[in-house]
Amino acid sequence: MSVRPVQSSNVLTGSLAQIGNCGLFLLTLLAAIPRSFRYVRETLRQLWFVGAMSLTIIMVCGLFVGMVLMLQLYHVLSIFGGTSASGMVVALSVYRELGPVVTALLFAGRAGTSITAEIGLMRATDQIDAMEMMAVDPIAYVATPRFLAGLIAMPLLCCVFCAMSVLGGHLVGVTWLGIDNGTFWSNMTAVVDLHTDIVNGVLLKSLAFGAVVSLIAVYQGFTTPPTSEGVAYATTRTVVASSIAILALDFVLTAFLM
Amino acid sequence: MTEPVRAAPDDSTLVRVRGLTTVLNGKTIFDKLELDIPRGKVTAIMGPSGTGKTTLLKHITGQMRPDAGQILVGGKNVPELSREELYKLREGIGYLFQNSALLTDFSVFENVAFPLRQHTKLPEVLLRNVVLLKLQAVGLRGAAELMPNELSGGMARRVALARAIVFDPMLILYDEPFVGLDPVALNQVLKLIRTLNETLGITSVLVAHEIEAVKQVADHVFLIANGKVVAQGDPKTIANDGSAWTRQFFGGGADGPVPFQYPAGDYGQALGFSGAAK
Repeated sequence: MSVRPVQSSNVLTGSLAQIGNCGLFLLTLLAAIPRSFRYVRETLRQLWFVGAMSLTIIMVCGLFVGMVLMLQLYHVLSIFGGTSASGMVVALSVYRELGPVVTALLFAGRAGTSITAEIGLMRATDQIDAMEMMAVDPIAYVATPRFLAGLIAMPLLCCVFCAMSVLGGHLVGVTWLGIDNGTFWSNMTAVVDLHTDIVNGVLLKSLAFGAVVSLIAVYQGFTTPPTSEGVAYATTRTVVASSIAILALDFVLTAFLM
Repeated sequence: MTEPVRAAPDDSTLVRVRGLTTVLNGKTIFDKLELDIPRGKVTAIMGPSGTGKTTLLKHITGQMRPDAGQILVGGKNVPELSREELYKLREGIGYLFQNSALLTDFSVFENVAFPLRQHTKLPEVLLRNVVLLKLQAVGLRGAAELMPNELSGGMARRVALARAIVFDPMLILYDEPFVGLDPVALNQVLKLIRTLNETLGITSVLVAHEIEAVKQVADHVFLIANGKVVAQGDPKTIANDGSAWTRQFFGGGADGPVPFQYPAGDYGQALGFSGAAK
């Protein structure tokens, strides 16, 4: 499939055409998955790049989200004498919403933009065309490994984010504000459901967000005009489109999974 | 590794273009273009900027499909080939990009090894020897461990050339191989093109504007303008064929069949003097 940028003077038709073209690109990516199995090493390299290299930002942000969440909840719940439920609420908020959404937003900013910029620059410097000329399919060699890496990395990063958030909540709630350690953990384990909160909340949502962010990042890279300005716009579009898609998809998934 | 497409050995023409018509953004690039590229020779495609010389190379390699016409490479009509057939054909074609198009994450050695790693299962020792052989041919064996950002423009082009010949192709396409090279690097590239042609018998097609360089290296020249071949022949004598095209192009005339002005509306009107340009 030839990947070309969509041009339309009308904003609405242009956006619809972009979405349609992105859908076709997804089909091309999926069709290329069997061909990309021979590039396992490239997929692992990308997994390291988008996954392992994103760990620092995910861990630090997860810790602070959990800490600030606990701080706010403690002060609100103390009015009603319900501070013992703070840990439980932190866990549910993080597992069901904040974990997948914030991880995906951070992932779009950290990994999505770099994927778009890298592919965009490869296009601008004819590296993609050179691969075509060497009879190497750039969709199978460049696009699919990055897409699969994003798909695999996101749920793992989300798990790390959630764990760090709970740890942050524990640090503030138990260590600093004096909530009983046993109450903190027992309330949490009593209400957190494996299927509803972990499988549907953490894993399913983050898998969907990982697919969306990776697709948008790779698509923007492949369709960017091969100029420095084009690459700059494409990276911006990756963040904007991913953010909107993550929040909209979160609403849809929550509505269906609740 | 799949066997690259080879033409019948008795065919003296490797690339045959018939009735090639291409329209891009409403502008006719080729208008029933016809040309034959002889096997085993160095053929130069010349012409004013924007006449579609690079587009012609992209048609030959199947990177672009024409609106009409045939491009026969080794007897295969490129626009009709499936993706698999096209990839098989490309294994027999080397392409030197204007900006070298080296893979920036890989060293010089890995850039040259890249096609071999993708299409063969050569033992590492043999692969290393093939790569070093090609790098030695372009004089850069000592630069094998350098990264592309550590190379000069001329060196990068020679690495790209080593990568282009790693499969001993039947055809090499050079897109503006002399642009931006100093006299030393230019002579090195000229010598390499000639040597590859003479020692390996590789058919070479080069798109270039440098008249003196083309005279040194090419066996045959096509001058393309207005979507057609307007002149062709020996590079040393084509300038004297008497046509207005060759007189302007090889004489470097600022105006002539190739207009100085890009097509535009009325000049007086553009300046706000209605009727001034009558």
